[in-house]
Amino acid sequence: MIENHDHPIQLLNAEGERVHHAMFSELVADIDDRRLQDLYEDLVVVRRVDSEATALQRQGELGLWAPLLGQEAAQVGSARALADDDFVFASYREHGVAYCKGVDPTQMLRFWRGSTHSGWNPLEYRMTTPAIIVGSQALHATGYALGMKLDGSASAVITYFGDGAVSQGDISEAFGFAASFQAPVVLFCQNNQWAISEPVSLQTQVSIAQRARGFGMPSIRVDGNDVLAVLAATRHSMTHAREGNGPMLIEAVTYRMGPHTTSDDPSRYRPAELDDEWKLKDPLDRVHKHLEREGLINDEFLARVSDRADRTAADLRRGCLETVEPAPMTLFDNVYADEHPLVSEEREQFSQYLAGFEGSAR
Amino acid sequence: MRSTDLLPPEPSIGEKNMSDVKSFLLPDLGEGLTEAELINWCVAVGDTIELNQIIAEVETAKASVELPSPYAGTVTALRAEEGATIEVGTPIIDVKTDAVDTASTATTSAPAERVPVLVGYGVADEGQSRRRARPAERLATPTAKTETSAKPAAKPPVRFLAKQHGIDLTTVAPTGVHGEITRNDILKAVDSAALVQPSDDVAGIRRTDVPTAGAHETRTPIKGVRKHTAAAMVASAFTAPHVTEFMTVDVTPMLELLETLRASKHFADIRLTPLALVAKALLIALRNNPSLNSSWDEHRQEIVTKHYVNLGIAAATPRGLMVPNIKNANILGLRDLAIQLANLTQTAKDGKTGTADLSQGTITITNVGVFGVDAGTPILNPGEAAILCFGAVRKQPWEFEGGVALRSVTTLSLSFDHRLVDGEQGSRFLSDIGRLLADPLNFVALG
Amino acid sequence: MNNTTTLPLGKALNAGLRRALEDDSKVLLMGEDIGKLGGVFRITDGLQKDFGEHRVIDTPLAESGILGTAVGLAMRGYRPVCEIQFDGFIYPAFDQIVSQVAKLHYRTGGNVTMPITIRVPYGGGIGAIEHHSESPEGYFAQTAGLRVVTCSNPADAHLMIRQAIASDDPVLFFEPKRRYWEKGDVNLAAPIDSYPLHKARVMVSGTDATLLAYGPMVTTALRAAEVAADEGISLEVIDLRSLSPLDMNTIESSVRKTGRLIVTHEAPVFLGIGAEIAARVTERCFYHLEAPVLRVGGFTIPYPPAKLEEHFLPDVDRILDALDRSFAA
Repeated sequence: MIENHDHPIQLLNAEGERVHHAMFSELVADIDDRRLQDLYEDLVVVRRVDSEATALQRQGELGLWAPLLGQEAAQVGSARALADDDFVFASYREHGVAYCKGVDPTQMLRFWRGSTHSGWNPLEYRMTTPAIIVGSQALHATGYALGMKLDGSASAVITYFGDGAVSQGDISEAFGFAASFQAPVVLFCQNNQWAISEPVSLQTQVSIAQRARGFGMPSIRVDGNDVLAVLAATRHSMTHAREGNGPMLIEAVTYRMGPHTTSDDPSRYRPAELDDEWKLKDPLDRVHKHLEREGLINDEFLARVSDRADRTAADLRRGCLETVEPAPMTLFDNVYADEHPLVSEEREQFSQYLAGFEGSAR
Repeated sequence: MRSTDLLPPEPSIGEKNMSDVKSFLLPDLGEGLTEAELINWCVAVGDTIELNQIIAEVETAKASVELPSPYAGTVTALRAEEGATIEVGTPIIDVKTDAVDTASTATTSAPAERVPVLVGYGVADEGQSRRRARPAERLATPTAKTETSAKPAAKPPVRFLAKQHGIDLTTVAPTGVHGEITRNDILKAVDSAALVQPSDDVAGIRRTDVPTAGAHETRTPIKGVRKHTAAAMVASAFTAPHVTEFMTVDVTPMLELLETLRASKHFADIRLTPLALVAKALLIALRNNPSLNSSWDEHRQEIVTKHYVNLGIAAATPRGLMVPNIKNANILGLRDLAIQLANLTQTAKDGKTGTADLSQGTITITNVGVFGVDAGTPILNPGEAAILCFGAVRKQPWEFEGGVALRSVTTLSLSFDHRLVDGEQGSRFLSDIGRLLADPLNFVALG
Repeated sequence: MNNTTTLPLGKALNAGLRRALEDDSKVLLMGEDIGKLGGVFRITDGLQKDFGEHRVIDTPLAESGILGTAVGLAMRGYRPVCEIQFDGFIYPAFDQIVSQVAKLHYRTGGNVTMPITIRVPYGGGIGAIEHHSESPEGYFAQTAGLRVVTCSNPADAHLMIRQAIASDDPVLFFEPKRRYWEKGDVNLAAPIDSYPLHKARVMVSGTDATLLAYGPMVTTALRAAEVAADEGISLEVIDLRSLSPLDMNTIESSVRKTGRLIVTHEAPVFLGIGAEIAARVTERCFYHLEAPVLRVGGFTIPYPPAKLEEHFLPDVDRILDALDRSFAA
């Protein structure tokens, strides 16, 4: 493992000061002022997308939302390390990654609204839609990566999961399969410290990154609130995978500032002091401070960022509210790829049943 | 008390005013609430507010939640008071929106009442039922069309009924909607068939067919006439409350009359028996006692009193007990009655009784006297109200003109259905018959 | 085209898998011990040698892992054929099968297909220890999104495995392990569309009653028909072949002809495939039934130890007993 667990890799500290790292600083040498501003914009937009969606839920437009507040850097930093051909297998909180992968904001919320099980075509954006069975996606990612390898492709896969997921058997199986087949997959764990109400100490007695060693796989433990460190770590791992060197585990240490979902009440299980502690490590603040120090904050820039955030939020809202809700007969669509007589029969019967009500068009 | 009563009506869906007043209804916030307490307002009437601006703090079960406004515009009304408990779905604030709102009119309303859960909108109330159209015309479960097959189609209960009556389904014409044999088809077949089956099909009391091996007993399959008779007996005995009354009558004068009639030219070639006179007496007595000639229609909950008499005479035939009847016996004079009786008896003896003769009887006489039996408690023929059992005529010491003499005496046993016939009616009927038989003059007077 | 030879069912499967690997380069076999060993039943014997380790893959010992990676491979455009070593070991993979494999097509609005075949040796009668004689087909037949089929003889084994692999939908392919060594004629050149995958087959025509079976019970049903014929009863024996979808047309035609139906399977009677068939036949052939539909199957007990299994498994006598009850009704 690279770095012991008390000191996750960091390139930008909470005060916004650059920290040098022998190996990783070089990996972000290309992040000049402009690119850093772009990263900041990404962080702001992602936070705004998240808060807009939360508001929409509070306004009764979504049944549920899983906020990523506090995890923006872990998601933007890793997502911006991906090449177009790389495939993302996500859990259900990677809205920041979806944004970076170019998923249309107007489509992002349909799943949470209950209008569809899958908000976008995963093959089009090369990113899966929210996966609800915890940890299941890591195996899918491993299989996909194995397929890439069999194809002789130069691409790689990244899969996201949380600290709670590492307890699931499927995660261990994914680690095992990935290592045995040397699959080109980066296993990215966002350790946000909480699995609903359960602290990470309940899931593991040692840092998550240490698990990789048991499977004979390298790992990196990185400050998940440091967008530069995450970017560097992910670039390193993706390259490692693409070059045929097999899987790598990244543990991004971050914090879930908000509730597990909009139905959760963290005040029931965690003290406010802990939140306050982590507020001081906010991922956006440190970049803002750094940009300020570098003289890169000006009205024009802030206006640009604000405008981008507003427009994205507006798209998100509009797309959500204008969702065309599915018609009842779509219940029977796409159960099978080929026609299945029982589904056809039931579709026909249900159609006749609906037509039997007074007032229905005959 | 709702302040909503005082406010202008909601803009209707589809109206696109430049300036809309929109209400924000308290949504379910997914934290296990059907209601929330309004802790405090963060805005006031007249304030200009932005989209998502926090307008209020509400308290759920354990935590407080900030509510962001779905509208930008001017606050025109606060519709709940601080400290009040509001139900999900209640309007809490009105906002006059300036521009064309991105909020759609139809969807920005609180969802239907739901009990929130951790992972979604929450448990919904079951929706209202809509009017079903044309229930009689609604398509039935698509039962496969009954193609013509070698085997007859029938519902299981109908098959069972057929089996009970020994009906072969292949001989029944189906009239059901699906080409199946119906219950009525079976009942019709029971009425017209079964008792007139070819002889090799019927097991009577004297046949010794298919005995199973064994020295100690003989087993005869229950089928045919006996089976049908047994079923009828059971049906009758356990449906109608039977009462039997007895009357012993000195019929010496009647027998003398019988001799006189036999000798007359009117009955020269006609077999005249005491039974004929008993039958005539019964027919006369029925005129004043119609309840003995009725039947109980359970299905239609009606008592059917017949204005005709089909007089059944119980007869032992080669095929078993049968009750052929004389149609409209009430209009027959004694001579014709005697002729019909003789024919009926002979036909029965020959085993040639037809199904028409066996159906639609209204009252029955059973003659146990021929066996030397005095009296009995006869079981009603199903569908009838009374049965008269005519016993043997015996010479017995009897009261005669103040003394004791050897007289011809017989006992009449009348069983009747106590649902249809009261004790008084039954008694009157029996005594009427008795009086007629005791004094033949009454035949002339009342006949 | 004809190339008929006599093969045991296991070898017929082997030939079918070989053909599938030849016909489509995207077909992959994956499972425990299927490569070098050729599978614990030798069903994949010789295939890794001929097609290579990248097409016939020995996986780590993890059923969920096998199915989960198959999902990813399928998304990548491959056609994985997963082997679950024994029926009783399918349960760790249950989540991946019913939560993912079955639902991904529906979930993604048809954008993602799961052309995965899951081969499962199943059923009892081999005198095995615990967990090696299960009949879990019901769980999967009831899961929308999955297709479930089972062969009963070598010819069908050869044809149906190729059809299952060619299907764009996920297929649970249940192989009657006690019949692996039973021989039959197989036309190795039979075209892949020579008989529909989801159609039942009337094995023996009859008039007095219909006997419906699938998988390992078909052989037993055929024997029962022979015995019944000696007693003067003409049984029509149907091999169901497909559990989802069910070929109700073939079943209904038969019942309308005979008026009596007996369904037999090793799986427990309670909530088994027979229950669904009985309900449908009662609904659609109500006026043709001369007796209630009867089911002959396993008891509501876990599969018993080997010494007791002959009492558990439905046999010819239990089928004939049901026949007697049917005629007594």
